[in-house]
Amino acid sequence: MSDVSARDLFPGALEMMILRLLKQERMHGYALVQRIQQASRNLLQVEEGSLYPALQRLLKQGLVDAEWDVSSTNRRVRVYRITPAGAKHLSREVSSFTRMFQGIHLILADGTP
Amino acid sequence: MTWLSRLFPRRVDDDLSDEMQAHLDEKADDLVARGMSRADATAAARRAFGNVTRLHEQAREPWQWPTLESVVMDIRFALRQLRRAPALTTVIVLTLAIGIAATATVFSWTRAILLDPLPGAADPARIEVLESLTPSGKWTGTSWLDFRDFRRYLKSFDGMAASYPISLAVGDETHSELHWGEIVSSDFFDVLRVRPALGRFFPVGLDTAGAAEPVVVIGDALWHSRWHGDSSVIGSVVKINRYPFTVIGVAPPSFHGSMPGERIDMWVPAALVGQILPTSNHLREDRGWRTFRVLARLKPGVDHAAALKEVSWFASYMAKVNGERSTGMSGDLLPIWKSHWGIQDALRAPLLVLMGACALVLLIVCANMANLLLARATARRREFGLRLALGAPRRRLIRQLLTEGSVLAVAGSALGLVCTAWFAQSLHLLVPSFAAPALLDPPVDSSVLAFTAALACAVTLLAGIAPALHGSRERFGEALSDGGRGGTGGVHATRLRSALVVAEMALAVVSLVGAGLFWNSLQHTRAVSPGFTADHVAMSSVSLTLSGYDSARADDFLRRVADDITREPGVTSASYTDYVPLSIGQGSWEDLQIEGYTPQPGENMKLFRSAIGPDYFATMQIPLVAGRDFRLDDDSAHTPAMIVNETFVRQYLHGGSALGLKVKGWGKWFTIVGVVKDVKTYRLTDPPTPYFYVAARQVYRPEYGYTFVARTSGPADQAAQAIARAVKSADPTVPVFGAMSLTDYIAAPLRGPQAAAQLLVALAGVALFLAAIGLYGVISYSVAQRSREMGVRVALGARPADLLRVVASQAIVLLGAGLVAGLASAAALGRVVSSLLFAVSPFDFPVFFAAAFGMVVIALAATGIPARRAMKVDPIEALRYE
Repeated sequence: MSDVSARDLFPGALEMMILRLLKQERMHGYALVQRIQQASRNLLQVEEGSLYPALQRLLKQGLVDAEWDVSSTNRRVRVYRITPAGAKHLSREVSSFTRMFQGIHLILADGTP
Repeated sequence: MTWLSRLFPRRVDDDLSDEMQAHLDEKADDLVARGMSRADATAAARRAFGNVTRLHEQAREPWQWPTLESVVMDIRFALRQLRRAPALTTVIVLTLAIGIAATATVFSWTRAILLDPLPGAADPARIEVLESLTPSGKWTGTSWLDFRDFRRYLKSFDGMAASYPISLAVGDETHSELHWGEIVSSDFFDVLRVRPALGRFFPVGLDTAGAAEPVVVIGDALWHSRWHGDSSVIGSVVKINRYPFTVIGVAPPSFHGSMPGERIDMWVPAALVGQILPTSNHLREDRGWRTFRVLARLKPGVDHAAALKEVSWFASYMAKVNGERSTGMSGDLLPIWKSHWGIQDALRAPLLVLMGACALVLLIVCANMANLLLARATARRREFGLRLALGAPRRRLIRQLLTEGSVLAVAGSALGLVCTAWFAQSLHLLVPSFAAPALLDPPVDSSVLAFTAALACAVTLLAGIAPALHGSRERFGEALSDGGRGGTGGVHATRLRSALVVAEMALAVVSLVGAGLFWNSLQHTRAVSPGFTADHVAMSSVSLTLSGYDSARADDFLRRVADDITREPGVTSASYTDYVPLSIGQGSWEDLQIEGYTPQPGENMKLFRSAIGPDYFATMQIPLVAGRDFRLDDDSAHTPAMIVNETFVRQYLHGGSALGLKVKGWGKWFTIVGVVKDVKTYRLTDPPTPYFYVAARQVYRPEYGYTFVARTSGPADQAAQAIARAVKSADPTVPVFGAMSLTDYIAAPLRGPQAAAQLLVALAGVALFLAAIGLYGVISYSVAQRSREMGVRVALGARPADLLRVVASQAIVLLGAGLVAGLASAAALGRVVSSLLFAVSPFDFPVFFAAAFGMVVIALAATGIPARRAMKVDPIEALRYE
């Protein structure tokens, strides 16, 4: 795994994906990694452990909640859930990211300055 | 970094480890389910996960305090930034040092005199002073019998001790030294909770049972000076007032007795007062002889209000049951710093006023520092904008700016502390040395350090927060476009800086008005005529009880010495008195019954008096209005004579003839033989008060000592030497003390107010200077910012006068706002200090006018330099620069 893909794709991208997935349902860390890989059709190579610093940042900012629970495989796991503040943050970030992607895409597609 | 991990809860760490382990296990289980071997699966899971330790560190980072490295980095960066602006840094650090040194110095004085009056006593905050009140509500000491009743019956206190400060002669007939001592109740040390450094203190029950043998406890300083710290002092015998006493204990070095600011060297139980003062058994037997200071320790759980209620109730009850001499008396309970007996009474007001002035100056210093930092923050907009654009969170910038503020505050405080250690020793400016024989050098110790540290924190927050918040407001785009052209600095910053300058000027006006009022008040006080002429008069005191004199010997001695002094060359007249006017204490009083005058119910007939020798009025040049002076034959064989002052005649005799009228005091009838002009007896600022004089030969009260006064045609110290010679030839073993000119003596009570007024003027000067710096900073900054505008104006035909008007109008608006706010606050604060002023209204127009005028002059000077610069703007330069 190279250093380029190490932590984050760009600042905030991982957090946004986590929030988006948690908006659908509550889940624990391992499940989140699985879902990111599935949903991105393995296009995004995320270092699995980098999820945890991101989760801690979200916890600190009050964008997600966590509680200990027992998983389907009967393991003690910490399950995360999005908070109302997290949901609001997500929708704001998504629209700003979308605009940015559009801008980048236009330039990349066209190529003329 | 292991110590850092201890700073935050273990929970976070444990949870993270568990969670990460669970992840690895689950992943490995999945891989095993897909057919991998357990060992391979575990390894693969780890590979996919990444570096567990590093991720763990990263994951707990959001919960961490700023790491030490980043704080050190901030400080180093701050130092670099401050070095780049040396002028700004110097001004801030120096002004901070002045403000902090002044405040910390006054604090160290306040602590030594008001806040920590009983060094060496345990839990001194629970000790209060019980004072008796005369029927007119004036405080007085408490009699021994009253004290014993208070101690026996009051329920609010854990203990109660009486003390009576007195000077004692230590040593034998050939050589004796004077030391301050206290006559105390036997539980004195128990109530103050002082443990002996050596030996023991007084046994309980000594007060009632009487003393089997005379015992004394000595202080640490005396132990070292007289016994060289030798522990064999216990059990040794020392003569006090020529009576042998056995030393039974040594007080610890920190304990200096119960009088704030004074050093007491020895303690004698009150049961032995007969040995100390042979003529003074009435001290313990007469309920009307109110001489003791009573210290009371509150019981745990009892508050001041409840205790005060009990004291005043019980005192009123005693006043009813104890008959004539106590009628109308009541009691009061005060914290030591508010109590009346001692140096703290005279210094309380000057110290509080100084404390207020220092707070004002420190506020101005903070406003000035905030102002300068704001200017600096505005100049650094590009830096902040860039850092924000590069992803620095806003709080990171705030932290950086606060760090810069606190670096400045720490530097200023450190410098200030050095000055404090030096200034604190100047307490003697406020306190005449003979009033407090050994006023402790106020120590610059841990509590002063803590106070200074608290000041530094307050300064950082007060002066640092506005620039920090402002600096971190930058937006990427604005800063780089606007700021790139040396822009206007933003409306927000300009407004904030203007507000700060207005506040600085307002505070400076307040401190100017304050200094002016107190200065004026002092001049008025000095201008009051005391009613006697102090020039060319010298005084010296003797204490005859120290030499064991009875009244016949004392009388003989006083007469002989006064006679001998008169025969000295240059001396025109000499006499003696037991109270010198304008002393720091108020002297003693007597309950009078005046023929032909019926007092109102509850009226206070306790009048202050002096017992004097013949020729006293001539020596002091107090004019005799009617009748005659005391004569030598006003002695115990003749009718007691009394001389009263004019206010006495006006108040009690309706201005009629006083001569020949009878007045009863000390249980006998006196005849008024003379009337003299009023004299200021206690304070120059007192209104005319009834006062009377008796002949020392007829009323002998030796425990206060007597003071010889002598008038010469030459310099006063010539008379002082004459007194010393005369005493020596009469009895070489009587120690003479307190030799000085009367002029110096009566100036002493004014020293506190005088030093305070001078300090106030100095502080006001500092305040004015700081306000000028602030105004100069804002105006010259705005001139620099608007140089292009000025250039355009000049290019379009504006004359220098027009440019001046632009600059001046800004300065005038700021100055006007500062003046209005300052004068209004000064007027509002005036009521608070009005009780401390003498013959000056708190709204004294000349003072207000002078303060405003001073501010205007300084403001003109501060505006002048930038205004000149504006007038000289070269349009080509200004425009090309852009």
